Amino acid sequence: METLMAFLTVFLDPELLILVAVGTFAGVYVGAIPGLSVTMAVSILISFTFSWEVYPAIALMIGIYMGGVYGGSRTAILLNIPGAPSAIATAMDGYPMAQRGEAGTAIGVTTVMSFIGGFIGIAVLALAAPLVSDFALRFQPRDYMLLAVLGILLVGSLSQGSLVKGIFAGAFGIAIGAVGRDPLTFAERFTFDLRIMESGISFIAVMIGMFGVSEALLQLHHVDRDAVRQKITRIVPSLATVRKHLPLSLQTSTIGVVIGALPGTGGDIAALMAYDHAKRVTKNPEVPFGKGAMEGLVAPETANNAAVGGAFIPMITLGIPGDAVTAIMIGALFIHGLNPGPMLMIDQPDMFWFIVGSLVAANVFMLIFGLTGIRLFTKIVEMPRSVLIPLIMLLSIVGAYAVNNSITDVYWMLGFGIFGYFMRHYGYPLGPVILGVILSRLLDDNWRRAIISEREDLGRFFYGVVTSPLSLVLFVSVILIFLSQTPLWARGKTRIFGHREGSTPQ
Amino acid sequence: MKRFALGAVAAAIALSATGAFAEYPEKEIQGIIQWGAGGSTDTVMRSVTPHAEEALGGTVVMQNMTGGVGAIALNSVADGEADGYTLLMGAENPLLYKVMGLGDKDYSDFTAISILARGTPVLVARPDAPFDDYAGMMDYIRANPGEVRFGATGPGGLPSVITAMISTVEGGLDVIAVPYDGDGPALTALQGGAIDVMPAVLGASIEGIRAGNMKPLAIFDVEKNAKLPDAPIVTEFNEAYDTYLPWGPFFGVFVKNGTPEDVVAKLQAAYAEGAKNPDFVQLMDDRGFTMLGLTGAEAEEFLSTWQQGTTWLLQDAGLTQTSPEEFGIARPGE
Repeated sequence: METLMAFLTVFLDPELLILVAVGTFAGVYVGAIPGLSVTMAVSILISFTFSWEVYPAIALMIGIYMGGVYGGSRTAILLNIPGAPSAIATAMDGYPMAQRGEAGTAIGVTTVMSFIGGFIGIAVLALAAPLVSDFALRFQPRDYMLLAVLGILLVGSLSQGSLVKGIFAGAFGIAIGAVGRDPLTFAERFTFDLRIMESGISFIAVMIGMFGVSEALLQLHHVDRDAVRQKITRIVPSLATVRKHLPLSLQTSTIGVVIGALPGTGGDIAALMAYDHAKRVTKNPEVPFGKGAMEGLVAPETANNAAVGGAFIPMITLGIPGDAVTAIMIGALFIHGLNPGPMLMIDQPDMFWFIVGSLVAANVFMLIFGLTGIRLFTKIVEMPRSVLIPLIMLLSIVGAYAVNNSITDVYWMLGFGIFGYFMRHYGYPLGPVILGVILSRLLDDNWRRAIISEREDLGRFFYGVVTSPLSLVLFVSVILIFLSQTPLWARGKTRIFGHREGSTPQ
Repeated sequence: MKRFALGAVAAAIALSATGAFAEYPEKEIQGIIQWGAGGSTDTVMRSVTPHAEEALGGTVVMQNMTGGVGAIALNSVADGEADGYTLLMGAENPLLYKVMGLGDKDYSDFTAISILARGTPVLVARPDAPFDDYAGMMDYIRANPGEVRFGATGPGGLPSVITAMISTVEGGLDVIAVPYDGDGPALTALQGGAIDVMPAVLGASIEGIRAGNMKPLAIFDVEKNAKLPDAPIVTEFNEAYDTYLPWGPFFGVFVKNGTPEDVVAKLQAAYAEGAKNPDFVQLMDDRGFTMLGLTGAEAEEFLSTWQQGTTWLLQDAGLTQTSPEEFGIARPGE
């Protein structure tokens, strides 16, 4: 009964409910603007809500978080500029849909799927938090490393066209991620003794440049062409559409929750892995992936919103942040006199249920705000290009500056924008670059941790891999996925299964 | 019309003239936090500053500026004006920049507004580790050289200083040091069994200890800690630690040298007042921090003692890039 009351607190107090709503609304827009991140918004809120009670402060932050993770998809679909790293995969099929005049449908599907994903994440948090956090804790450095390798293998599904160019782009991304003082030893890498390189290259600046500026430059090619007319007949997807994608969304939500719950990985990696998963399991999409496949929207959007619930799991059960936003929330709880840690759920179970309740409320508001105002939003793509292009440039510059309040980041952003333009021009995919930057540290740090832990002995390292069930599963998956991308696999498959399946579509 | 314009200009001049004599602070003050949002420096600064604002009668806008082990933030404040409108909110790391080759500036280029508090280091182990206290751990390490995994956070971090201290006092410490991004991720790894022992600040590990997810081997202090009265202190096992303790990371607010004295005095008074706030005292106590509230000569004394002790400890352990001698940092006791 007390549990139920704690859960319902947010619904029974109009003030709290309004705060969640305001937070979610603001989050959608903060998330939609590249460079303005949820992390930043939440850390500003810490000072802002300092003198408040703890419940209203948390309610507002949760609203922003939920709304922001969803909001990133808006600009990804409409402008091909992901508002947040977790919306990178969304752009790959969302933008082609907008170009066909189906932006309304794309946003509708995204919203409903984000809601479903978010809800699954919350359900897992409410029902199985201790179980999942136990599982997440079991990940050793070598498991994180294998996970990163698994991520790197996504290069294949992120590059349309030449795989070689995709691999080049991915390797380039990993190199960008390694620039600066190595956080483990503080040794300088790829800095050429320049002070500007010392703190590394901001990943957000790379993303904004590659997607935002290069898109604007590309659009300059056809400034005079008329914008695509958007047909907004049906925004809310039909029940049949939702039902059709339900099995996929359940799978991708699971990916989202687990990746979200792992400390050190978040919604961005979850969304990319989910996209890859969708590509693997969807045998015959109505529209090919990369050209506007519905599945290409469903997968990343369910996964990144499910990762929100996932990120709260280690935070509430152990006081360990699941991602950057929950790390700041832990700080906020401290400031409000609570002691987040393994004892929080025992000492203050009300807090747990209050967070679950607020997440549910935020998820519902996200659905409401997501499905309204679409008409207005789609007008953005219908704007003349001569207005749109300067607007994109302005947003990119403001966004890049806002990340660290540093003008250096703006230069990086512009540089990568121009470079990205030429990459696109010569058919190099941009997705793998970002993938490389995201995974660079995960791969590098954990490989070193793993091998240092084994006294730099490869034999001991592999002994560890084969004796741990978790590592073994990851290791075998890496090998299988790698083989499945080589011609060897297709040949072997034909030999074993005969020609029944016909040629496997890439 | 012309007369009106003239009048407006005159008024503007008058306004700006009074502005020059106006009381500090007459505009927003910027607070640059050296570490990321959600970390302990961030938490401490965001908790104390609103109380200091009240005493000051001004606004302090805080922003996190990370990178280069905090050197980016330090250099940014050092490159700014010495007018008291930019505060550096930092931790102990800058005192090691010179010997670690991370930069050519440290707190000697700054005036301390307040050294707020000091943390206490504690050695924790995973709950199923084959030893229960410091003595047991040392015996186990001697019996199994090069097998026990210690968490580390890079040269100059708290774990590197503590392991250097152990190594100096015990005459060697043959363990594997596994590097992590900070004590948070390392303590997570400890609970997952990826490392066996972690030297951490008490505040970061206290909740884990309370829940039994990690066990305290020894508190690195000269007296028992009120937060963990049952945990042994390291001097009980080896009195030689007396030379180096008490030692701990600290948090402080600084302004660039050359800031007008009245401004410094005002800021010092404001932060001294803010640090007295019961909510803040409670927060610091919960996290196991010792309040210091040092300013002026006391702060300088504290900083130079800290720098001498720590840099020479690291120098003797072979962890520095340049000897402290090069920068005129004298060996303690000389």
